[in-house]
Amino acid sequence: MEELAVSLGTLALMGACATIAGAAEDLESDFGSQSNANSQVQLAPQVGYLHRVYNKAICGEPVAYGLLSATGAAVAFALATAFAVNIVIALALGAAVAALMYGVYATTAYMGRLTGQKRFGQPIYIDVLLTTTPPIIAHAFIATMGIATFSYLLNVIIGQPFPFPILALLWGIMTGGMGSAVGDVHYGAERQYQYKPFGMGLPAAQSGKIVQKGEVGLRNSIDIAGFCVKHGGPLTGLGLGLTVFVDLWRHIIFIEFVNGWGAMIAGLLVIVVWVIGNRFLEVWARKAYGPFKKEEAT
Amino acid sequence: MDPITLILIIALIAIGGLAVGIGVHFVPVGGAPAAMAQATGIGTGTTMLAASSGFLGLISAGLVTAEIVSGKISYPGFAEAVANGTIFTMDKITDPTILQAIAIIVVAGIVGAMLMMVILCVMPNILYIFGLGVPLASAKVKKDPITGDVQYTYVTKGTEGHGTPTVAVISSLIGGLLGGAGGALIYLALLGGQLSIATAAFGAVGIFFVNSVLASYNITGTIEGFHDPKFKRWPRAFIACLVASFVLGIWAAGIVFLGA
Repeated sequence: MEELAVSLGTLALMGACATIAGAAEDLESDFGSQSNANSQVQLAPQVGYLHRVYNKAICGEPVAYGLLSATGAAVAFALATAFAVNIVIALALGAAVAALMYGVYATTAYMGRLTGQKRFGQPIYIDVLLTTTPPIIAHAFIATMGIATFSYLLNVIIGQPFPFPILALLWGIMTGGMGSAVGDVHYGAERQYQYKPFGMGLPAAQSGKIVQKGEVGLRNSIDIAGFCVKHGGPLTGLGLGLTVFVDLWRHIIFIEFVNGWGAMIAGLLVIVVWVIGNRFLEVWARKAYGPFKKEEAT
Repeated sequence: MDPITLILIIALIAIGGLAVGIGVHFVPVGGAPAAMAQATGIGTGTTMLAASSGFLGLISAGLVTAEIVSGKISYPGFAEAVANGTIFTMDKITDPTILQAIAIIVVAGIVGAMLMMVILCVMPNILYIFGLGVPLASAKVKKDPITGDVQYTYVTKGTEGHGTPTVAVISSLIGGLLGGAGGALIYLALLGGQLSIATAAFGAVGIFFVNSVLASYNITGTIEGFHDPKFKRWPRAFIACLVASFVLGIWAAGIVFLGA
């Protein structure tokens, strides 16, 4: 019973870490325009839309976060094993090293991507670089710290046997996948194309014509993250937190039933509940918003 | 080293890799257009989407393997067979207890991958509906083959659909099933060859990536699932993934043989 209580308590902490990490990951990618559709920010100057958006998407979010989390966790692991540093301090130091490394990545990526657009007249703004890179580093630190911490807890207390830097690599990729799937929609479809009416997708002909002006002055990446923090960021965090929590919750609670099969049946039931919930949502949205044209007679 | 063990390692890696490669074709990938509500599917890349779900399967499979080895759930003989590298010998592989242990590990991989996949489908749908105000619709089919809902009347102007409708969610679950099973099989094959847990995990990640990247080349961008016309391209991926995984399996068996 005590073991169960410890496992569930740890799981709650892991879920909280994952929620914070997921939200920070999405906001960081919004700051750096690494979110999909980053191709639009790259395309904008080519169709005559010069902008002041930070643009560092030289690889997808999952790969970038795999690198970031694995670096943070590996440094923490090295400090904790070789120098016997307390693991909490080691994780913080590891995350700091990884976040600073990420700052180098962001800066060089921004310079590199924008110099390639000189022929379209897109300037490199030094003030954008100086004001947006620190929030990127800060959010990367929070995300790495969160991911490395729950990977460590998964390994040491829950008992997942993979070494925790490998777990951090896997969870980093999954965090990036979640941020890319969930939060990016708010950034790509809503914030970058805010002039389109609420309730429609972006017509293909509008590609690249991103919003250039902000609430005050010209729009920059800090404005973008300030908008995405209201919906895209929290939902990404919720998605990642639920992934960590639900998968391990069904394992910890039900693994002792039917010689392990209890956890599998519980998992399948959870999946069925999600699918049914999705169906209700789909039907509700169809009734509330559509249809947009008449059905053809067949 | 028993030749049966080496043959089984090659076979399991080939089957696992093949399952991953085919599974990727079921995942509704929308890429950048989906992130602009311009195409149906999940707004990220094929490889990373498949990898994200497969890795949760791998983590779940690893956790269940550890529970069996530690004796928390009882499958007698499995822990010893893994420890002394005899799990893929004829008398062990025909032992029902060992087979049940292998089955539960593979199912753990499947459940983990399907769970990640369903969350990856449904969370963006919440955002599409409440953050963007668009219903879920596909432009590749007139009617959803599962629910029978008319799709084209709900597609907004100038787009090819948005969100992940029920048929694509079901398709993604089949993708998760194949991806999770493939990842777990590869992990088991490497673990059974007496490689360390870390090496087996890393090897499984690598083989997973090889197959999902190969499948991504076949898909070229976006796919909605089994109802998409692009899905008919799967036989090419079948051959490519089978050959690639077979070659990787031979390498893995070589490493196991040299290490033994």
